[in-house]
Amino acid sequence: MQAVTDEQLIQWVADGDTSCLATLFERHHRAVYRFCLQMTRRRSQSEDLVQDVFLKILKKADSFRGDGLFKSWMFNIARNVTLDHIRKARRYPGESMDDDVLDQHASDQRSAEQSAAGSEKMNFVMQALAALPTAAQQVIWLGWFQFENYDELGRALGCNAGTARVRMHRAMALLNSTYTSIHGVPIDA
Amino acid sequence: MPDNKTPELPYDADNPAERQLWDALGDVSAEEPSPRLRQEFYRKLAHASRPTIAMKLREWLGFSGNTGWLTATACVLLGLGAGQLFSPPGHDNGRLAALEENVLMLNRSLILDRLENDTASKRLRGVMDAAFIAGNDAEIATALLQRATQDRVPSVRSAAITALGTQVKTPEVGARLMELLEQAESPLVQMALADLVLRNGSAEQMTRLQQLADNGSLHPDIARHVTTSLTREMI
Repeated sequence: MQAVTDEQLIQWVADGDTSCLATLFERHHRAVYRFCLQMTRRRSQSEDLVQDVFLKILKKADSFRGDGLFKSWMFNIARNVTLDHIRKARRYPGESMDDDVLDQHASDQRSAEQSAAGSEKMNFVMQALAALPTAAQQVIWLGWFQFENYDELGRALGCNAGTARVRMHRAMALLNSTYTSIHGVPIDA
Repeated sequence: MPDNKTPELPYDADNPAERQLWDALGDVSAEEPSPRLRQEFYRKLAHASRPTIAMKLREWLGFSGNTGWLTATACVLLGLGAGQLFSPPGHDNGRLAALEENVLMLNRSLILDRLENDTASKRLRGVMDAAFIAGNDAEIATALLQRATQDRVPSVRSAAITALGTQVKTPEVGARLMELLEQAESPLVQMALADLVLRNGSAEQMTRLQQLADNGSLHPDIARHVTTSLTREMI
């Protein structure tokens, strides 16, 4: 079957066919969920955020200009929805205390040997990443998992490719120094 | 996003420590969302897709749908009836038949014009009018098929598919519709095509439909609907 592109589907959503949003949801909801989960560290909140992201896509479908990938536009929305949520959660910290908190190692489904070999380093990397400002975490997660080039990463971050590259390098430098301060020794020692 | 994937963005800094950190991110496992997410999303999507009060009011007042065609037909019938009633004996029936034919031709041209209109609502109206005469008019059937396969608005595509009705059994229309079913991504269009084949399709078309449902070409809910319908029919 010849696959219709995401960009065509979002045009059809804008034309009134809300059922096409279901196809976009099936294609992308896992990626958005993992992004939200890494940002919030809470499972049920992340699932709620994914729904918010796709319902926002439905509302804003006619503002998709088609000058980049749908995925970049979608992650720009996901980034803003997640940021809003994190800001609110900081303002009212008591509300999310009973949520299902992500434990990276508990959810790690690799084999025992693989886990043993990489778990300590992984643990420190994850701790360092979680200690970074939200904006730096977003740049690293989106750059690592979602985008092939800085043009599309820039669109998702709401900036140009050059700024996206600078933000990525700053975030990685910050991750490196945070890792060293948590672990006591640099990762390449 | 596959587990333990290689990074998509090539990291271009020279610092070896940063590069090791970048590579270490590949060990992060990918967690799946719970089934609740899908259920909740589809419930909210169904709620968001409900017609608004304005749309319901339009429908209730009769501003949507087939009123134009009905009004035109009623006027023609009234005119013909009045003509028959008040015409003197021995009036030329041939002229009346010619007049009737002219009115039908006018109506047909109006439908073809509507099917090509730039506005989606007018094309939709054209599709609904065309549904009544597509069975006896090859040109109208071709225009409908063009709407079914090429219209950019899914509601017009699905209405045109439904309007083609029993013509799914004719070789040309049937082949084009089955081709469309294999390519359609919109669940709305898939549903209209699947329903058409289930109601009016040949045995061969139903077999093909079942194959498409089995190989994941259809939206999961539509595939289930197809399998259930075909199984029930076999029982």
